[in-house]
Amino acid sequence: MSVLIDASSRMLIYGIAGNFGRFSARDLVASGSTVVAGVAPGRGEAAVEGIPVFMDARTACRSTDASAAIVYVPAPAALDAVLEVLDAGCKVVVYPGDGLPVQDAIALRSAARRCGATLVGPNTPGLISPGKAKLGFMPSHCFIPGPLGVVSRSGSLSYEAAWRLTSAGLGQSCAIGIGGDPVKGLNAAEAIELLHADPETQVIIYLGEIGGSDEYALARYAARAGAKPTAALIVGAAAPAGKKMGHAAALVGSALDSQAAKVEALRAAGVHVADTLRNLVPAARAAL
Amino acid sequence: MMMTEHAGKSLLLSYGVPVPHGLLVRNAAQVRRWGDVYPAAIKAQVSSGGRGKAGGVLRVAHPQEAAAAAQRLLALEFAGERPSTLLIEPWIEHTRELYLALTIDGEAGGYSVLYAPAGGIEVEDNPPIRYGFGEPADFRAHVLRDRLGPVEQDAGVRERVVAMARRLLFIATSVDATTVEINPLAVLPDGKLLALDAKVVLDEAAAFRQAATAAERVKARRREPRMVQRALAGNLMMVALDGDIGLISGGAGMTMAGMDMLAAAGLKPACFLDCSSNPTPAGYQLAFDLLDGERRVKAILVSIFGGGTQVDRVAKTLEAIMAARRSRKPVVIRINGTGRERADAILRDAGLYNQPTLESALEAMIAAVPPR
Repeated sequence: MSVLIDASSRMLIYGIAGNFGRFSARDLVASGSTVVAGVAPGRGEAAVEGIPVFMDARTACRSTDASAAIVYVPAPAALDAVLEVLDAGCKVVVYPGDGLPVQDAIALRSAARRCGATLVGPNTPGLISPGKAKLGFMPSHCFIPGPLGVVSRSGSLSYEAAWRLTSAGLGQSCAIGIGGDPVKGLNAAEAIELLHADPETQVIIYLGEIGGSDEYALARYAARAGAKPTAALIVGAAAPAGKKMGHAAALVGSALDSQAAKVEALRAAGVHVADTLRNLVPAARAAL
Repeated sequence: MMMTEHAGKSLLLSYGVPVPHGLLVRNAAQVRRWGDVYPAAIKAQVSSGGRGKAGGVLRVAHPQEAAAAAQRLLALEFAGERPSTLLIEPWIEHTRELYLALTIDGEAGGYSVLYAPAGGIEVEDNPPIRYGFGEPADFRAHVLRDRLGPVEQDAGVRERVVAMARRLLFIATSVDATTVEINPLAVLPDGKLLALDAKVVLDEAAAFRQAATAAERVKARRREPRMVQRALAGNLMMVALDGDIGLISGGAGMTMAGMDMLAAAGLKPACFLDCSSNPTPAGYQLAFDLLDGERRVKAILVSIFGGGTQVDRVAKTLEAIMAARRSRKPVVIRINGTGRERADAILRDAGLYNQPTLESALEAMIAAVPPR
């Protein structure tokens, strides 16, 4: 087993009958993931892209032994849809949508814990273990197998970063998009612990930004005895203070939120830090 | 999205939190309606923090002083915002100023209570204690009481603060607020608490189920520059910056990374513009229209790394936009991600060039618009 998913993971797509659900079904199958079920409440279709479609998650899981799910519903419907797949027994659940009320994120994080499950998201492209499985919609060609475990607050930035690492011959054991919201199903500290425990991960690469305190979790990890080598890219140096930069949590409110403060804290903890994309590959090489 | 003090206090009052009886006025002449309760506090109503330090709260002793103070406050700017209203309240005698807040805390996976026994505008110099409990059902008054013990010796105040914290949690969950902060929370001579200020931050994402939040969002958008208003109306995320390179990007992290790369190359981004929430022909057309129509923008960089955004579709859209476009501002394109190979072919056939890397795109941009 690699981190959270592997080649034996049986996956379910909730919201498979929508445009994005169909695209993702084709993309996941093409990437080698085992998609065994779709759920589309209230829709009459029997199958999408050859995948059997069910009216509810419980029936889908009972009929197909699905245990991992990605949920494509808009934010107002997310609370109930994610609770449904958790109640149906899925142990790894990705909710990629953005604009989820923080209160719903808090409720889902707690619900996942009570179910002994891991929620990844909101506001994430999901996760990938290159060469084994993907539960998300990141572009597969940017990733190759290798020793780097990647944690990212931003989807698009993780594609660019992975493409640079891959082009330089530096493959990845796993890439986890933890998302850009303040309350996460899986936060930075928890994602880092998963990579720390993963024997295939030799180095942890963290892609972060301004705002929030996730970067300080990496600093705490890097400073502890027995930590794996770490490298990080922190973006947002050119962002003005007091303005929210797209992500709900990407806002410089206090001094600790700034890119400069985070870079300094990470360097002090022994993390190889890149201050722009240009320096990412050298930082990763230095850590390896 | 921060509510003004007056709106925040009205909300607190409706949930039973005591606040002073104030009067909202729009100009200096309306100050007369206040009558003769002096001394009074006169306070600028703005939607950003740091107002007290910026001189937005004045103590006035009589009507003439109040009218002069009103005139002065209405002419000030707070983080770029000029107040449109002022709040007048009686100047209230109190024995202590406390700090109490209920806020979202990523590390706690939910909410935290913050408390400092000495509140006021310098509270950041003496950081509050933090009780992070996560989900609302895990709030425990007795745990908070224990945490308050070492910093709050007055048992009566402690009990009232614990009860107030529970009430702030109820307010936050009821209205979808990410912060409910009272600073200062006054202790009156009889020991009761009174909220002398209120900072309520509403969760914009909850606008679909909170009519008040939806209304606040409309007001907040009206305060944005015209270009940003049009972008937000078209479901694009935009923040105006003061540079001259228009950046059309996708995803918050990638957009910020592009801004940083431009800045490191000596170029200045004119905006943060994230099109990933509307990656359609209409969305990209709007992005070009906004930047082509903005005089200070000298050139446009399209930097998109798409996952769910299929870049072959983006390429087709760019082909159509560039064919119909009248503006002669240089455009540099660099797109990669899902559908990259088809995108390259589409752009090549259209006579457009897809830069292989962000670095090469920046070199092309420097050649087109040499930095001064």
